[in-house]
Amino acid sequence: METHKDVISPKLGMWLFILSELILFGGMFILYSAYRYKNPVDFHHASRELEVLLGTLNTVILLTSSLSIAASITAIQRGQRKLSIYLLIATMALGLLFLVNKGFEWGTKIEYGIYPNSPTLLARAKGEVLFYGLYYVMTGLHGLHVLVGICIFLVMLVFIVKDRINQAHLAPFENSGLYWHLVDIIWIFLYPLFYLIT
Amino acid sequence: MRPEEEIRMTRYKTYVLVWITLVILTGITLSAAGMQLGGWTVLIALAIAGTKSGLVLNYFMHLKSERLLIFKIIIPLVMVVFLVFILLTFSDLAFRGGVK
Amino acid sequence: MTSTGETETIQPGISFYQNQGRYHGIFAWILTSDHKRIGLLYLIFVMAFFFSGVVLGFFMRLEMIAPGGAIMKPQTYNSLFTLHGIIMIFLVVIPAIPTIFGNFFLPIQIGARDVAFPRINLLSWWLYISGATIVAISVFTGGGPPDTGWTFYAPYSLRTTVNVPLAVFGVFVLGMSSILTGINFVTTTHRLRAPGMTWNRLPLFVWSIYSTSWVQILVTPVIGITLVLIILERFFGVGVFDPAKGGDPILYQHMFWIYSHPATYIMILPAMGIISDVVPVFARKKIFGYMAIAISGIAIAGVGSLVWGHHMFVSGQSDFADLLFSLLTFLVAVPSAIKVFNWVATLHKGSIVLEPPLLFCLGFIFLFSIGGLTGLIQGALAPNMHLHDTYWIPGHFHYIIFGGMGFGLFAGFHYWFPKMFGRMYNRKAAMGAWVVMLVGFNTFFFSMLLLGWEGMPRRYYDYLPQFRTLHLTATFGSWILIAGLILMFGNLFHALFNGEKAEDNPWGGATLEWRIPSPPPTENFVKIPKVEQGPYEFR
Repeated sequence: METHKDVISPKLGMWLFILSELILFGGMFILYSAYRYKNPVDFHHASRELEVLLGTLNTVILLTSSLSIAASITAIQRGQRKLSIYLLIATMALGLLFLVNKGFEWGTKIEYGIYPNSPTLLARAKGEVLFYGLYYVMTGLHGLHVLVGICIFLVMLVFIVKDRINQAHLAPFENSGLYWHLVDIIWIFLYPLFYLIT
Repeated sequence: MRPEEEIRMTRYKTYVLVWITLVILTGITLSAAGMQLGGWTVLIALAIAGTKSGLVLNYFMHLKSERLLIFKIIIPLVMVVFLVFILLTFSDLAFRGGVK
Repeated sequence: MTSTGETETIQPGISFYQNQGRYHGIFAWILTSDHKRIGLLYLIFVMAFFFSGVVLGFFMRLEMIAPGGAIMKPQTYNSLFTLHGIIMIFLVVIPAIPTIFGNFFLPIQIGARDVAFPRINLLSWWLYISGATIVAISVFTGGGPPDTGWTFYAPYSLRTTVNVPLAVFGVFVLGMSSILTGINFVTTTHRLRAPGMTWNRLPLFVWSIYSTSWVQILVTPVIGITLVLIILERFFGVGVFDPAKGGDPILYQHMFWIYSHPATYIMILPAMGIISDVVPVFARKKIFGYMAIAISGIAIAGVGSLVWGHHMFVSGQSDFADLLFSLLTFLVAVPSAIKVFNWVATLHKGSIVLEPPLLFCLGFIFLFSIGGLTGLIQGALAPNMHLHDTYWIPGHFHYIIFGGMGFGLFAGFHYWFPKMFGRMYNRKAAMGAWVVMLVGFNTFFFSMLLLGWEGMPRRYYDYLPQFRTLHLTATFGSWILIAGLILMFGNLFHALFNGEKAEDNPWGGATLEWRIPSPPPTENFVKIPKVEQGPYEFR
């Protein structure tokens, strides 16, 4: 049997998966556009209730985590295993921080009685009901992807420590980085569309 | 190893520069939201988000250094697909009252 | 024959059936990563689901044999047609050709030993089985099987008390299987072609699987998210499709059909790929217009993703959208017609060998053309006002799906059977079954077209006496068709155990699968071939 380590295939496969994820969220962006188009004022009102500072902080957190994972992968390429591990742990910590912030955001809203199907929410204008419906679903699905990403990084951490991922074999690690950047990109769009509607 | 398989190592410096740009763009989009830009707001927000994504795609995700044609077309492809879906959906939504 | 004229063999008798790796017994199959075994695993279950779908259809037609209730209550009938649709579409027609023949033959036809991601291939199968199981469980739990039609339109699907969430979740899981298969096949086609196997030497079956795989990757996520939203809506009252909360049910239809229309191209493109491979072999002539057929597949996938609104002409969408989608719908007929013309042109002045694979191709061309033409009629706005939600619509799509994809699948069975199983079936019996099926099919589904034209609504449990004769005819037609199916499958099944041993290349095909033994060894090729000619060179 011929042996040829094909380094392109895993990468191509991962990119194709990323395409499917972009369309998955794209579907929700279509719904978002439709309902914002129909209810511009309601969306504006609801958006003003979101905590812009927390949203902006989360944006910077995710961007920084993208930096740290990209650097972590470069570190492995250069054989700098320890540095790579620190950067990977930093990425995971930032991801967790993002989720904690999100938890606070959601928690505050839920305390005020603003969640899908709540009497408080249903009493409001239809556009605001839709805004919050989309808000919870889209940021929720995004948060789920962040959580999955952190779990994948945990596995990568174990692999690096056990030397299953190293300079010679790092395709899974690179792919996990690609996944994380995808999660970052989705948030790059969620942020202005939910927090910055004027 | 074929040319497209060579591992291109991005420098840490490049990553940090990209990160700085991303944070600056985030600041810009935040302040643009505070200004009264009317109908332009959405477009500017999307343009900035698009630019940020482009930076993440090209530098953090190394799309810029990919040689094969397939990698060059996949992001434009998904953008076209999404655009088509949203435009055709709006051909319904935006004209419910009839064409004026 | 290889380019030097010999058929290559490893040791005679060691086929992929016998070669066992780490696992034994049934685990050597359900934990395999061999694309051929996975193809057969799909074959068994897709066919099992096909038979259940046929049984459901049989009972539907039995109920509709006369006006008024016959053997079931209206609620049961609603569940029957819903399940018939879910099973046939998501468990049979969408997966069938890619997962059975795509899995078995794509790697061989490009000169590879397996797909790019063999273990993900196995995962795809397990997701398929899981999704099917979840759908099956939904039939017997919760409030009972869904009664919404396979289209799950909101707001009814949000309110009906039957087990929509579980059924819809099953379909979601099936969608994941489909996406992974698409990713696998695109990567395989790009990265694992043998030396000399350039894009313009690929068999057209490979081109069709390739186009299909792109559609699977790019549109399946849309129905994925739509179904998730149905579940979230039912459990959390999110409000996205619920008019009471400001949601727009027409938006649900947009999201649903953005996937489900291109899904029909996932169904038909691989079947067209089979026709493109089989016709040249039995005309002993190169395919007419190779590049036109290859590119028209891509065009169908592309333009076909722009026409979904033709399912919604009477839904309440804007007139402008109606016009736009109608125009686009007419456009997508062009690449399909190009294929039909090219197949016919291939047969013209060819040296015709009338064998079962070719017969099923001819059946395809005839029935698909009728289906396509009826599609044009309903794609025009004025007739659609009259025909929408009548029997014309299921008449149309059964001509396309069953007459098209189904006959394409059967052509594939009769063409590739000797290669997959090393045996030959009784050709006369196959041809006889074909005749019976054609008679039954047209009696059944042409009656449906007429019923629709006369105004009989679809998904109705009861009807006015004036429709009685055509319904009776349709039901008789369904019995003849089922008889033909039993004959055909019985013949093939019998040949599995009692058929004559088949040669390596009984039909004289020129694509790579005919150069290796029947059935193939596990690694497909002794040595990866160096390809020096196109797939339809017969001299």
